[in-house]
Amino acid sequence: MPMLANGVVAPPVPGQPPSGPSLLAFFKADCPACHLALRYLDNLARSIGSGDHVLAVSQNERASTEKLMRSLGADLPLRFDRDLTASAGFGLEAVPALFLLDQAGRVLASSQGFDKADLNRLGGKLAKLLEVPDPELARPGDGNPDFQPGCVSRHLEPESDTAAADIPDLYSRRAGRASRIDLPTEADAEEWCYESGYADPLPVVPPTVERVERMLAESGLSPDEVVAHVPPNFGAASVEKIAANAVMAGCRPEYMRVLVPAVRALCDERLDIHGVQGTTHFAAPLAIVNGPVRLELGFACGSNVFSNAARANSTIGRALQLILRNLGGAAPGRIDMSTMGNPGRFSFVIGENEEASPWGPLSEDFGIDAGRNAVTFFCAEPPRPVSEHKAREPRVLLRAICPVLANLWSYRVCKRSEAVVVIGPEHAATLGRGGFTKRDVVEFLFENTGVPVSEYDGDGGEGTHEAGFYDECVIRGVRCYRKFRRPESVRVMVAGGPAGKFSAVLGSWATGPRGSQMVSYQFA
Amino acid sequence: MSLTVVSPLDERPLPEGSAPPRLASVGGARIALLDISKGGGEVFLDRVDALLRERYGVSEVLRFRKPTFAKPAPEAVLTDIRKAQPQAVIEALAD
Repeated sequence: MPMLANGVVAPPVPGQPPSGPSLLAFFKADCPACHLALRYLDNLARSIGSGDHVLAVSQNERASTEKLMRSLGADLPLRFDRDLTASAGFGLEAVPALFLLDQAGRVLASSQGFDKADLNRLGGKLAKLLEVPDPELARPGDGNPDFQPGCVSRHLEPESDTAAADIPDLYSRRAGRASRIDLPTEADAEEWCYESGYADPLPVVPPTVERVERMLAESGLSPDEVVAHVPPNFGAASVEKIAANAVMAGCRPEYMRVLVPAVRALCDERLDIHGVQGTTHFAAPLAIVNGPVRLELGFACGSNVFSNAARANSTIGRALQLILRNLGGAAPGRIDMSTMGNPGRFSFVIGENEEASPWGPLSEDFGIDAGRNAVTFFCAEPPRPVSEHKAREPRVLLRAICPVLANLWSYRVCKRSEAVVVIGPEHAATLGRGGFTKRDVVEFLFENTGVPVSEYDGDGGEGTHEAGFYDECVIRGVRCYRKFRRPESVRVMVAGGPAGKFSAVLGSWATGPRGSQMVSYQFA
Repeated sequence: MSLTVVSPLDERPLPEGSAPPRLASVGGARIALLDISKGGGEVFLDRVDALLRERYGVSEVLRFRKPTFAKPAPEAVLTDIRKAQPQAVIEALAD
């Protein structure tokens, strides 16, 4: 039967009926979209205050439901649809499913799946009925996706006689404390860590209790607070686990102020580190640091910005990689099956040379005010070099960058890649003197990067089959296909040392909502 | 003196799973093929599709497709496969 239409009187739900208008939320314990919705609904219930006006209807038994609610820190009034008759009666196809009912139990509005717009709409209507302020539950850009499809309702699931696998605990906010392990007296601590699978192939600093405690003290956070769940295994990155990996990577305690928001950003669903961890491609997450923290913690932003110049870059980048490996499970040869790999899989962190830039910082492109600390992630190929030592005029200089951009991913593949162009300080000075704004640079690169149509001569190579979808243009009299989908596919920043007219181009992995999207997080 | 270290690893026990029993025969069975959207996947699966019917007497081959190889299969795709109730699913991984 179809889902209950508006105006229809809803069938009864087990337990005490609500007194007055109510929002019923059907869910099941192993549904990630339900976990997301329940957190917002818990906030809605709290903002409304007394009364059972927001009811969570579980399709599971009490024990697993209560365990889930504890892990979410949610305290919603619960009902149990044990035999799933109510789920069938409401005509659910998917959960979470929300039904706004009036006092007489008639359906006023409904929604299936996790959708911030629906949550706001239904939460707003309930607030209006109860004459309380609209709580504006779900804001865009709060770290959760705007939309996530739900899971099939349990009453439609085929029965199975095999035991279900454990439910991954994706949204818990607290983790158990990390184990303390006494090393054998005769053990060499560095060798022991290596043999215990703690490390990449380089030596690590043993994460002794004292060192980890110093990290924790500096963070000012509770050790069991979960910052993120690291894909693909979704191990909980508690502050304590982050600290242990940071010690091993050689971090100083004060680096925790960057590492904690960086781990959160790294696990943002938009970045899709899940896919990047398992790809055969070259991609690795590059972290770009902006703001005063660069100078306070000594991040390299100048000479050797991509290499081994500063402890902050090298050890924070290594800590992130160790976290991906130790908590996410992406060790080379197991989940990480990159064909060629990327030197950035040891460490891949740069600071923007804001002092040498004629423009605002990269983080400003993502809505963060200049002067604020921010970490931005881009899943990138290794840097490709650009040399242009003769150009004295912006257009001539930028022409040297266009062919490097044209080669991203594969020469004849268009409209797929994105790029970060790291402009060296000498090049930045040329562009600044020539009056080019960042927008001018991006538009010039977009307009002048293409692949000649003559290259598509029917040999069947990569990118040639999709040519019908490409956008044609003329670049210096030559018919071309535009390399990029839109100007915003190219991001521009400044980094590198004061001498040498070099820049660098970094290409992306799969892009857009079906791949990896750049994310930028502000921090204190 | 012995050192005490803090475990940096994910300490949850790995969930135990086991493969479902193998089909004794695919003759007369409904088999689902899941294309993960990698380039060339459909070429490979078209051939598997034909072989399953011609050589192994599969009664019906059902085709499903993930919207992107870059992310796990969305619940909607898994729901469609479950609803179709195939006896087995073959997933074409990578290119």
